[in-house]
Order: sequence, then C-alpha cells, then structure tokens
Amino acid sequence: MLITRVTLLGNKDHGKSTLIGSMLMLTKSVTKERIAEAERTSKALGRKFEPGFILDSFSEEREGGLTIDTTRVQVKHKGAAFELIDVPGHEELIQNMISGASYAGFAILIISAMENEGITQQTKRHLFLAKMLGVTRVIIAVNKMDAIGYSRKAFDDIKEEMLRFLGRIGFDRDSVSFIPVSAYNYDNILARSKRMPWYTGEPLMQSMLQFSKQREKDGKSLRISVQGSIESGNGTLVTGKVISGKVSKGDTVASFPEGRSFRIESIYVKGRQKPSAGKGDDIAIKPGSGPVSRRGSIICSGRQKPLVSDRLSGTVFFVREPAGKASIRYNGIELAADIIVHKVIDIATGGSLQKNSEIVLNAAKASITSRKKFAFEKFNEYPELGRFTLYSNGTFAGIGIID
Amino acid sequence: MIEQDLKQLQERSIYIMREAKEKFGNVAALWSMGKDSTAMLALARKAFLGKVPFPIIHIDNGIDFPETYKFRQELAKKWKLDLIVAESEIKPELSGYSCCGENKTIALKKLMKERGFDALIVSIRRDEHGIRAKERYMSPRNRDFKWNYKEQPAELWNDYSSKLDDKGHIRVHPLLDWNEIDIWNFTKREKVPINPLYKSKNGYRYRSLGCTHCTSPVKSNAKGIDGIINELRSTKTEERAGRDQDKEKEYVMEKLRALGYM
Repeated sequence: MLITRVTLLGNKDHGKSTLIGSMLMLTKSVTKERIAEAERTSKALGRKFEPGFILDSFSEEREGGLTIDTTRVQVKHKGAAFELIDVPGHEELIQNMISGASYAGFAILIISAMENEGITQQTKRHLFLAKMLGVTRVIIAVNKMDAIGYSRKAFDDIKEEMLRFLGRIGFDRDSVSFIPVSAYNYDNILARSKRMPWYTGEPLMQSMLQFSKQREKDGKSLRISVQGSIESGNGTLVTGKVISGKVSKGDTVASFPEGRSFRIESIYVKGRQKPSAGKGDDIAIKPGSGPVSRRGSIICSGRQKPLVSDRLSGTVFFVREPAGKASIRYNGIELAADIIVHKVIDIATGGSLQKNSEIVLNAAKASITSRKKFAFEKFNEYPELGRFTLYSNGTFAGIGIID
Repeated sequence: MIEQDLKQLQERSIYIMREAKEKFGNVAALWSMGKDSTAMLALARKAFLGKVPFPIIHIDNGIDFPETYKFRQELAKKWKLDLIVAESEIKPELSGYSCCGENKTIALKKLMKERGFDALIVSIRRDEHGIRAKERYMSPRNRDFKWNYKEQPAELWNDYSSKLDDKGHIRVHPLLDWNEIDIWNFTKREKVPINPLYKSKNGYRYRSLGCTHCTSPVKSNAKGIDGIINELRSTKTEERAGRDQDKEKEYVMEKLRALGYM
C-alpha cells in the first residue's frame, strides 16, 4: 500500500502533537501499550489525558510540553494510509521542522483559534517554507474551537486573513481547504461535529483522503541523478536514481557537466537486470564506453539538456547567519560558493525589504557562484533537481531553490 | 499495522546503503541474526549486486540461543559474509538496561576503535519505539557514542547529513521506514532465510529476539511466515512486549540510545 506523507505545520502550542494523537486514537492506529504509557505519563504529570504524549517520546518533550524533533507515525483510514510527520513549532527548532517537512506530499497547517494565539509570524513562515520545499497542497485546521465556544466568526476571520496571505505567496486557492477542529474533543477530525452545525464541509480525515488521491504526474524527459559507482562481476557500474522519465537498455544518453554521450549496455534494478527503469528506481547501469558520469552528474536523453554553469540565481532561506566559508550541497556534491543576497523578502507580506534587513528566518533572492561548473535544473521544472542546502563553515545554514 | 509498498521501501534502503558506501571509507554493519538485520543483508546483496561489501559484526555475549549461533554459521557461509564476532562480557549481577547498555556497548566501542569504522549500519525501525522514531537515516554519534538528539543534523530530501566530527561515527539506518510486517512480507517474497526461533513451537514463538536472559516468547501458533503475517495483521500488542529492557522505566530507551545502544 502506498503511503502519503503529511507534515503537520504551525506555531508551537497550537496543537500539532495533540491533533496527531487524536487521529491515532480515532483510527485505532496505536497499540494499547503506547496509550497506557501516555496515560501513565499524563497522570504522573497531573494532567488530563494528553494524546500528544503518544508522539512526544523524549522525557523533556513531555515534561516541557513541546516537540523537540520530528516524529513520524502511520494511520490508516478508509483504505488509504498516511504517514504523519510531527515537526517542532518552536522558532529555534526550525531546522528540524525543515528536515521533517521536506518529505511531505501535502501539509496540514494548524492555527489556534484562541485570541492570544491565532495567526503568527511562525504560521506564515512555515507556510512559506512549505512552498519552498515543494509542498503545494495544504489543509488549514483551525484548532481549539472548543476554547472559543465554537465561534464561526473567529474561524471566518482566520480563513479570510490566511486566504489573502496564501494568494500573495503563490498558493493555488483550489489546493487549500479550511476546517474548524478541536483536537482535544475530536471535533471534525474523523466525523463532522454536532457542535459546529454551521460548518458544512468535510471533516479533516475525509479531506486528507481527497488530497491523497491526487497524484503528481511525470511527463518530463529522462533525468538520472548520479550517486556514484560500484564494482561488480560485470565491471564498474554507475549508480543513480531516476528522477523523471524512463531509460531502457540500448538507449544513448548524455551525462552533464561532462557533456559526453554513451550507450547503456545493461540496467540493474534492485539487484536484477531489467530491460528498462522509471521514475523512483535506484539503478546501476553499465555504460558502453566505460564510466563517464560521476557523483553529482545528471544523465539525460534527447535535446532538453540540464543547465551547466558555475552561477545560478535562487531563492534562499537562512536558519542562521552565514559566516565564514559558504558552500552549497546539491545533488550529492558539496561546492564552495560565494553567495550574494540581492534583496530580502518579507515573509509576512511577500514584498521586498531593504537589502540590509535581517536575512535569518526571512527569504532572500540571491546569486550563487561556485568555483567550478556543475549541472543543475530549475525548481519549477524538476523540483527534485532544483533545490539545494546551504552550509556555512560546515554547519547547516539554510535551504534554497533554483529560480 | 500498515503494510507498505515494498518497492518504495527497498529503493530507499538501497539508496541509503549505497550512500553510506559512497560517503564513508570504512563501513560495517551489525548483525544480530534477527529478522531485521538479516533482511538488511538481503537488501545489501541487492544494492551491491550479489555481495555484501562490508564487514558484518556480531556482538556476542555468549548467551544467545543455540539456534541463533547455528543460523549465524550457516548464513555467513552461504552468503560469504566477512563476519566479525566481538565477544562481550556478561556480569551475572547485571540485567536488562545495565546489561544491554554496558556490556554490549563496551564491546562495540572496543571493536570500533580497533578497526576504525566510521559508519555503522544498524537495522532499527521507526515503528519499534517512540524514541527510535526520532532517529535520522544517518545519525552521528560522538566519540563516546553519545547521541545528541537535541541537535540532530538537518536531513533534507536525499541529502543525508552528516560530517563526521572528531573520532565519532555515523549510525546508518536503512530500515528506518520499514514496519515489522513489511520485514516479513519482504522475507517471504525474497525467500530470506530466518532464525527458526521466530516460528511457533509448543504454542509459543519469539517475536523479537534478544539474548536468552531477557527475551521471552509470545503465545502463537504461527508455524510459518504466512502464519506470522496473519498474526501481525490483527495484533494490538507491541513487538518488543517480550523484551524486558523496555519495561523497566518509561525513558529507558532514551537512555540506552543516548549511551550508544542500538
């Protein structure tokens, strides 16, 4: 069964872990030991049953009431399976949030409806990052409706403000849905809640089901990201992952940045010889003319070649101030690079800020120059080959997409 | 328990093991002769076209089951494994947490130092325990084997982290995404050999295998892999229910892992 990966985004304390815990409880996707363990811990800490404890396993997470690192759990609902990725909502833990969200097919963004919580800078930042990470579909769950008397007005106000923001950062209106929920009281999670008769849309898990049925299409030409090589009884083979398109035995392909063509003599998928391979396959290939591709090469066929340059323009997001030696990691290789920021983008409005504005936790348009030429693609054409990570003195500093 | 798409799971495991081999000079893998690490060996044979290209380590405390030793010998020969047996001490006064934590970890530390391995493939799965679900595919450990779970490296898309810091090593987790039942579906489909203790005998079988001191069998009539798969489709108990180690205290797994346990 194919699993749809879903990331839960939103500000800390707005209820991500609780929402996942409630989905696990309602779909009976959790063992009795885990429920008992969460019950014992809730009791020991003098609280009512906290479904979030099923997720937050570290002692500090439970006692401190916050998620420190990502967790994934699986739920099954009406023949579909989901892997729910819980990410930390705390600003300092944004790196862990990015790691978790980068694997998602779609996102659920949680906003607390309580007056002193509501839409925050972090809410908007998470959504902006999701877009950069390639997440195009979002369910917005307006949580804690029980705490505000299930007020329709509060829900409508949040929806209106978020729609304006989503439009500004380029989300498609049809790819976003809004649902009022209470994770504690299980309202509108599995079934429509009687406490909000004014809401006539689908409950959360029904909406998830619809989203999971939309599959991304692959109509693009062949791209193989080269991982490296292995030695086998059949000589040196080039290993890599098929990012898009199809490759068959006997095809003539070209490898970049080398710019050299070769014929494919044999293809191995999962250890066995196959006549062809397609998107998602991890392959080993025997090149006719001896290996020309290296780790970081892109193999393609036909006329549409990848870009080859030592310079690119991109949108970047720094999680920490870049200092010292900068580098980018792209397609398996690390390249020393000069990064020049042209303008900083205000995440809250999508507009541009002064050149010298704070770049940490804001997005920016930048140009990146490396010491040598490499092959790459634009994010909007081949998302998986259009993104990179930023490092500063060997420490993770942010992410970027190629414009 | 969700049965996942075996193709997707295998692709990711193969990618991760090839990545470990590309990135690190001196890779080894742990083998307990259990179902997970045996499935890992079968996947390594796929990733590297028929051979396992790294040494396989068994941390042997001398009190594993006789069936386990026999299985080790047979499969090591059949698959031509480069097997390293590292003997660990058993102190009669230690059990559970202290036994696994101290004895096995000490033996592993000693071996890692002697052989200078910089990456260690470990067949843990996310669904085994809440703490294991927090692991990365490639997780650094420092020179004392400590897991700094508060500052785990970013692991985005297919960019798996991790530079080695001074004298530390990387734990590589190719089976992190697999569920217990996926391992059995794979074992069945690929005819991977298994330790006979997993099959029911006199109404009991081992669902999770440790050593003779702290593993107990569970009630089961599953005499073959089909029976095991059917049983797992309806179970509501945890896989490690027969392992004493997890029961002692709520946060024992967190402590074990922070200390370097597998």
